[in-house]
Amino acid sequence: RGWEGPGAVGRHTAIGRSLGRWVPVAVIRMGDKPLWEQIGSGFVQHYYQVFDADRSQLGSLYIDASCLSWEGQQFQGKTAIVEKIIGLPFRKIQHSITAQDHQPTPDSCILSMVVGQLQADEDPVMGFHQIFLLKNINDAWVCTNDVFRLALHNFG
Amino acid sequence: MAEHPLWEQIGRGFVHHYYQQFDVDRTQLGTLYSDCSCLTWEGQPFQGKAAIMEKIASLPFQKIQHNITAEDHQPAPDSCVLSMVVGQLKVDDDPVMGFHQLFLLKNDSDKWICTNDMFRLALHNFC
Repeated sequence: RGWEGPGAVGRHTAIGRSLGRWVPVAVIRMGDKPLWEQIGSGFVQHYYQVFDADRSQLGSLYIDASCLSWEGQQFQGKTAIVEKIIGLPFRKIQHSITAQDHQPTPDSCILSMVVGQLQADEDPVMGFHQIFLLKNINDAWVCTNDVFRLALHNFG
Repeated sequence: MAEHPLWEQIGRGFVHHYYQQFDVDRTQLGTLYSDCSCLTWEGQPFQGKAAIMEKIASLPFQKIQHNITAEDHQPAPDSCVLSMVVGQLKVDDDPVMGFHQLFLLKNDSDKWICTNDMFRLALHNFC
């Protein structure tokens, strides 16, 4: 709750500065987790929160070099990605994260893998998995790579 | 596969080689990792080729077979390749289980190695 803006709690800390504008207060206080895990879990939490509330607002998380693979279809660049996300054929959606893993990469990026469940409109709950590669550009973490698949092929 | 983008050829080639080697003799996977590689296996982190190989070699089964259901590959920053795999696996005489795994690949002296590897069984998902 409450994504603090640049003037609030986070900004005066190193973590707050590195996280940019979408810093949730709770993340800053998890001092015993590695930085990449704080950034990865902060991003993931923010992504699904915005997706579920109003997915047309996800654009700021992508750049022109971003790639999205959505159920095997490829999209390149912020515009095409947001167009695809907005055009998804449901009105309401709710994501639930079951598990998430985060790692630092050799080129100072952060890689995150999410396993979860989602429910679109009145459809049955479905499993999904998604990965995000995050890169720090001009003090903001953006998503350069996003891969999403429903867990329709997996056994429970 | 000349019409597939290069990153897809690299990702696909790596993924197929990885599971083939894993199923035949997983102790030989070491060449695919380096000292800066990270593996997260069912939520447990491992750092570096030695620790990764120790974990893989000590997994508690004799035989295993992986089947790839779907794979996605993308070009990633700094000329890396990102691959995500959804599949099924069967260990010894256990029932078939779903899994997903991701690999981040980097070219090191003309060889593609895996710098980041994350594996999870699909136990939490509904069909």
